[in-house]
Amino acid sequence: MTLLQLPTPKQEEWRWADMAALRTAAGSAPQPTGIDPASLFLDLEGPRLLFVDGVFDPARSTPGPLQITRWTPETTHPLGQLAQGEGWTLSLAAQQAASCIQVVHLGSGGESHVPAQIVLAEDAVASMVETFAGTGWANRLLQVKLARGARLMRSVRLIQSAGFVSIRDEAEIGEAASLVSVFLAAGGMASRIDGGITVIGKGAFAEMGGALLTRETQKQEAAVVVRHEAIEGSSRQLWRAVAADRSTASLAARVEVARGAQQTDGEQSLRGLLLARTATVNLKPELEIFADDVKCAHGATVGELDQRAMFYLQSRGVPENRAKALLTRAFVADALARIGEDTVREAFAADADAWLDTAL
Amino acid sequence: MATRNAEAHAAANKKYEWGFASDVEQEFAPKGLSEDTVRYISAKKGEPAWMLDWRLKAFAAWQAMELPEWAKLAIPHIDYQDAYYYAEPKQKKTIGSLDELDPEILRVYEKLGIPIEEQKVLAGVEGARKVAVDAVFDSVSVATTFRKELEAAGVIFRSISEAIREYPDLVRKYLGKVVPVRDNFFSALNAAVFSDGTFVYIPEGVRCPMELSTYFRINAENTGQFERTLIVADKGSYVSYLEGCTAPMRDENQLHAAVVELVAMDDAEIKYSTVQNWYPGDENGVGGIFNFVTKRALCEGKNAKVSWTQVETGSAITWKYPSCILKGDGSVGEFYSVAVTNGRQQADTGTKMLHLGKNTRSTIVSKGISAGRSDNTYRGQVLVQPGAENVRNFTQCDSLLLGDQCGAHTVPYIEVKNPSAQIEHEATTSKISEDQLFYARQRGLDQEAAVALIVNGFAKEVLQQLPMEFAVEAQKLLGISLEGSVG
Repeated sequence: MTLLQLPTPKQEEWRWADMAALRTAAGSAPQPTGIDPASLFLDLEGPRLLFVDGVFDPARSTPGPLQITRWTPETTHPLGQLAQGEGWTLSLAAQQAASCIQVVHLGSGGESHVPAQIVLAEDAVASMVETFAGTGWANRLLQVKLARGARLMRSVRLIQSAGFVSIRDEAEIGEAASLVSVFLAAGGMASRIDGGITVIGKGAFAEMGGALLTRETQKQEAAVVVRHEAIEGSSRQLWRAVAADRSTASLAARVEVARGAQQTDGEQSLRGLLLARTATVNLKPELEIFADDVKCAHGATVGELDQRAMFYLQSRGVPENRAKALLTRAFVADALARIGEDTVREAFAADADAWLDTAL
Repeated sequence: MATRNAEAHAAANKKYEWGFASDVEQEFAPKGLSEDTVRYISAKKGEPAWMLDWRLKAFAAWQAMELPEWAKLAIPHIDYQDAYYYAEPKQKKTIGSLDELDPEILRVYEKLGIPIEEQKVLAGVEGARKVAVDAVFDSVSVATTFRKELEAAGVIFRSISEAIREYPDLVRKYLGKVVPVRDNFFSALNAAVFSDGTFVYIPEGVRCPMELSTYFRINAENTGQFERTLIVADKGSYVSYLEGCTAPMRDENQLHAAVVELVAMDDAEIKYSTVQNWYPGDENGVGGIFNFVTKRALCEGKNAKVSWTQVETGSAITWKYPSCILKGDGSVGEFYSVAVTNGRQQADTGTKMLHLGKNTRSTIVSKGISAGRSDNTYRGQVLVQPGAENVRNFTQCDSLLLGDQCGAHTVPYIEVKNPSAQIEHEATTSKISEDQLFYARQRGLDQEAAVALIVNGFAKEVLQQLPMEFAVEAQKLLGISLEGSVG
């Protein structure tokens, strides 16, 4: 395989990436996971896809409008390039709707690569939930094209117990279209969530955000670039990182405003919370602006839990651990609030709670 | 049309008032860079063997290094063999007083408004504010004023080649300590071929009686300037140091690769201010100085403080990150910067605050102003190491865009390994609003005066950190740099 061509931390865009964990996961021998794939689907109507070790499982899937095909996507992204072979596509005609699509990836070790594609015609609407469970290196590429007025809501949770998950999202957002994607990494794996979103239509909206929860010696990372090429676009990048034990959580977010993309409104909020003395949070809120009539602001903070809030809760009889968990939950909740579907949001919050119970 | 062109030309020329070249007789080392060049410079300076050794090691290291590419800069190919690495104004062997200095050089400094002579006169006037000046002309320090008075206070203020001869132990102890030879491509190059610069030592408990200042001037064609500044502030001392730079207008690019090292011991404070006004090239990006500078301060002792203030208006390309290593407990680092780019200038500048000690604090205020077809990047890093308790950092980066053909970028890195740290970062990007302009115009200001006023207001937080004389000059420079960029 192509492990030799993998990026290295010497490259500026990959300086916080945990390539060693990726190599280890890729080389790990398959072992039974003991997870029932059915338990990974949420109780929601809609098409379901199950990939076990990157292989489509037709018996336990109900594809509906989704198609399973083999292809090699075009991308220049070093990990995205590797995602070729069997994958899924969704294309909706104008004003059609599909919800809530569920895609579950269960890994038992070794590497698996799945490409995916979503093409929504004018005013089409779709929502999807993707779940990563098990172990091994799961490498995924998703390419999204939204025509005028199309809307996509995407929620992704990473709850693998070990291994590595790398996700590359590439999206082109047309006029007045909207893409909202929310990620939650609350497992034991290392990860790299990579986004390249381009606003190509007037007045489009792009949001990519989420929460990375890391513990033990885990390293997780999100690296997102939102590029505005059309006027009056707006984008939001709201990320939260919580690092416990000896772990590292890294957030790199960039807003690019191309020449002529006037009246762009870009907002970034990156916040890190350190739960232990040995943990690390890295933030890189980047702006690259070539137009003069824009509103771009970013805020970034790192710190520990507010000591006054801790004291207040304890003075009301809440035990220390519980108080920590409550405050941390509130810190993470910001990032999950954007998930529209109640069932999905609650499931994600439950995953975050489960993580907090183990970490604190 | 022709008249308009001529007028435009005159206006463009006016923009850079310091663009004259002067006919000072000069002595060059042969073009090109090799071990022999390094040996030549060292011999010319009459350096001890350890210094030559150090240079040769640096040269060997440099040969194996590559130009850094991470900055957001389009750097044209630089032929390191097609430049002079040593140019010395021919002068009498030793100068007893300023009267013996080549009058042509004196005239240059007069034109620049550097008051070497004037200061001597003023020295007799009671209550006059004194500034000691070290003037570096191409590669060589030509004049250092107020030496005696400084010596009485115990302050050593020398060109670095003199210091190497007169205080070898002191120089040897600190040279390359803050910026190691192998730190980066340009620091290695500088270590190999640096020809002069300034050395300052402030002894324990001394508050330097006057501001110290170095004025750098590149004059000769095809030369690179590589100066080295080393400032050591011993326990409880204080010094304020100013630096200014200009160069003639020439069509080819010239390289300026300086290294500045600051060391502050317990309770010492160093205030380092720069007004950088190297020739920026013409509006089409022809010519100009490549300003690739490594500046770093080490807060070695407890409660040491280093404050960098910079006003960057010149240079075709700026690559510069004045940084603080906050090693001593309770030490403080500050960085105040205004960077203005116009025409086709590119600036990639910012700072690093490396928090190693407990209770260390840092403040970063960066104001970027882009106009014309220029690019202006803030690139910074705040790093908190595991042992650094109760670190506090506040960063503010504001960008102002004048026109729709320029770019403003912010690339901050925040790396925190201690939960007791409080790190805040804020950034905004904006343009001058029509309302602001309208208001100023309505009060009778013309377009340019209005823009200058608003820009000065935008940069005020930084400008007020500068010593008074510099602040006035900087304010004027901002206005000149942005002339013709609006309306």
